[in-house]
Amino acid sequence: MTHRIGQILIRAIVTLLMVAILNFILFRIVPGDPARLLLAGARTAVTAKQIEAQRQRWGLDRPLIPDQVVDYLSATLHGDLGFSFKFRGRYVADLILERLPATIVLVGLAQFIAILCGVVLGLYAGWRRGGAIDQIATGASLALYSTPSFWVGMLLVVVFSTALGWLPGYGVYSPGATIGFFDGLLDHLRHLALPVAAVALGLIGQYVVVARAAMSDVVTEDYMVTARAKGLTNGQMLVRHAFRNAMLPVVTLVTLNLGYVVAGAITVEAVFAWPGIGGLTVEALNARDYPVLQGIFLLLGASIVIANLMADLAYGLLDPRVRK
Amino acid sequence: MSESTVQSLSRGRTRALKNFLRQFLGHGGAQLGLLCLVLFLVMAAVPNILVGPLQTAINATGDFLASPSSQHLLGTDEVGRDVLNLVVHGARISLTIALLATVISLIVGTTVGMTAGYFGRWVDDWLMRLTDFFFVMPSFVLALVITPVVLEVMGRGGEILGFRPSLFVIIVVIGMTSWAFVARIVRSQTLSLRERTFIDRARVAGSSNLSIMVRHILPNLVPQIAANGALVVAGAIYVETSLSFLGLGDPLQPSWGTLLSLAQSAGAASAGAWWYLGAPGLCVLTVSLSFVLIGNALDDTFNPRRRVIP
Repeated sequence: MTHRIGQILIRAIVTLLMVAILNFILFRIVPGDPARLLLAGARTAVTAKQIEAQRQRWGLDRPLIPDQVVDYLSATLHGDLGFSFKFRGRYVADLILERLPATIVLVGLAQFIAILCGVVLGLYAGWRRGGAIDQIATGASLALYSTPSFWVGMLLVVVFSTALGWLPGYGVYSPGATIGFFDGLLDHLRHLALPVAAVALGLIGQYVVVARAAMSDVVTEDYMVTARAKGLTNGQMLVRHAFRNAMLPVVTLVTLNLGYVVAGAITVEAVFAWPGIGGLTVEALNARDYPVLQGIFLLLGASIVIANLMADLAYGLLDPRVRK
Repeated sequence: MSESTVQSLSRGRTRALKNFLRQFLGHGGAQLGLLCLVLFLVMAAVPNILVGPLQTAINATGDFLASPSSQHLLGTDEVGRDVLNLVVHGARISLTIALLATVISLIVGTTVGMTAGYFGRWVDDWLMRLTDFFFVMPSFVLALVITPVVLEVMGRGGEILGFRPSLFVIIVVIGMTSWAFVARIVRSQTLSLRERTFIDRARVAGSSNLSIMVRHILPNLVPQIAANGALVVAGAIYVETSLSFLGLGDPLQPSWGTLLSLAQSAGAASAGAWWYLGAPGLCVLTVSLSFVLIGNALDDTFNPRRRVIP
């Protein structure tokens, strides 16, 4: 068990290291003097002395490998991601931390709803294969699975915001309104509804497909026949044997999926002018703000690696066969 | 080999092919997928014959954001271009990007997977470590940070084979970041093929490693590569659409994703211009669903064990 955890940890660290090294390479490929690029986001006018200081700081006169790489990695490890080009004088790490909560709320809520709806629907569809609900759910989730979430978001805006006028189509709060805590919360939730729905719908499609496949595999297993032969009722079979075994692949997918969820949320945030990581990504892309873009890449990489770590560990806990 | 064996061999192959086609084409999903795909391939092949040359702000023919009418079946965009015209021309761009990216991805994935599986030991270790990285990091996330840098290095001017260089950058970046999934499947298949007797026989007959891989292992991998290739195309379309939507496409050669990006910045959703954002999105949905359906049908046909489950 400890050996396995050690291996998993090493793999995670290697992946993160590769993310950081890719960042390093990309920043050196961008045309221009690295010392000037590093100062491009500083607030004040750049003097020759400052450029020299940056050269010293990052060891730009020393060899690329290993000196500069090591310097870069240690700075990254200390959370020093440099200055933003676009928001002059702001640290990349601060910018990202500022925008993170909005994305966490959006992704967290969407993930919660998608797990609840998608997994239940998928397990049921797999349990009653070929039934009416199965056919509708499978068809709909294949379609949702093939649809970019941001397009679903655009359609939701057209229908629920523009045509029906029920819900706001962009932003986090209604501007200018000074309202109490409760009304404020309600207002926030109304703004959340459409972006959360857009992200969740895409996920539901995926979860239904996987949960259904997992359940379909379980239903044909020999131990299910044994359970039936023992005289268990449908409900008992479902709870004692089918559910637990079918949950294994589902748990893995849901955890592994985190990176894709955040990536999908980036485009959805762009539709709704949501001030999270996605909004920041679009601004950074438009301004070619490489330090911010690389900071976001590092954040996504880290969250994906952590999600993988959790999936691996959870799998060990859930499946006794892996534990050995 | 005598002539009769050659004949019976080729007859056996023809029969296998006929069997395969019968099963594959009997699949409802495959029929639907192929039908849609043929439609879009025709669009991509001859857009000029169907809707005339690509409209620009200069030779636009309609009103601004006009709703669908008999003159403009899918309405117009914010500068008066016919949306049907844009969508049909977009088919060529989107499909070319997705298919070329898939070709790159399949070549890289097959090479890496086959090499790792065939040689084993340290070659396998190192190649699989590389594969793990690309398997864990989504193609979209990698492309998001690589594409703008490469675009800046390459510049956006000129044309390569009639396509803008920025589209080529997207093709290569998607292709080079989405092969890990293929490599894993090819590797595991190669591991089992390597132990078969016909490989030993080829080795005894004096075939080189390369010749064994190309002439004996590769042909046996075709089913897996084909089934997963269809899924890779669907993934490539998704990534391309998302990247272009975020503004990494080329407005002079708009793909469906670029059209959605233009619709978004023109405020089509809040203006209620459903035709403008609906048409390109529906195309993405249809094409990507077609490839998923074809991929599933191929998988069902090649993989008899899974056919039991309806």
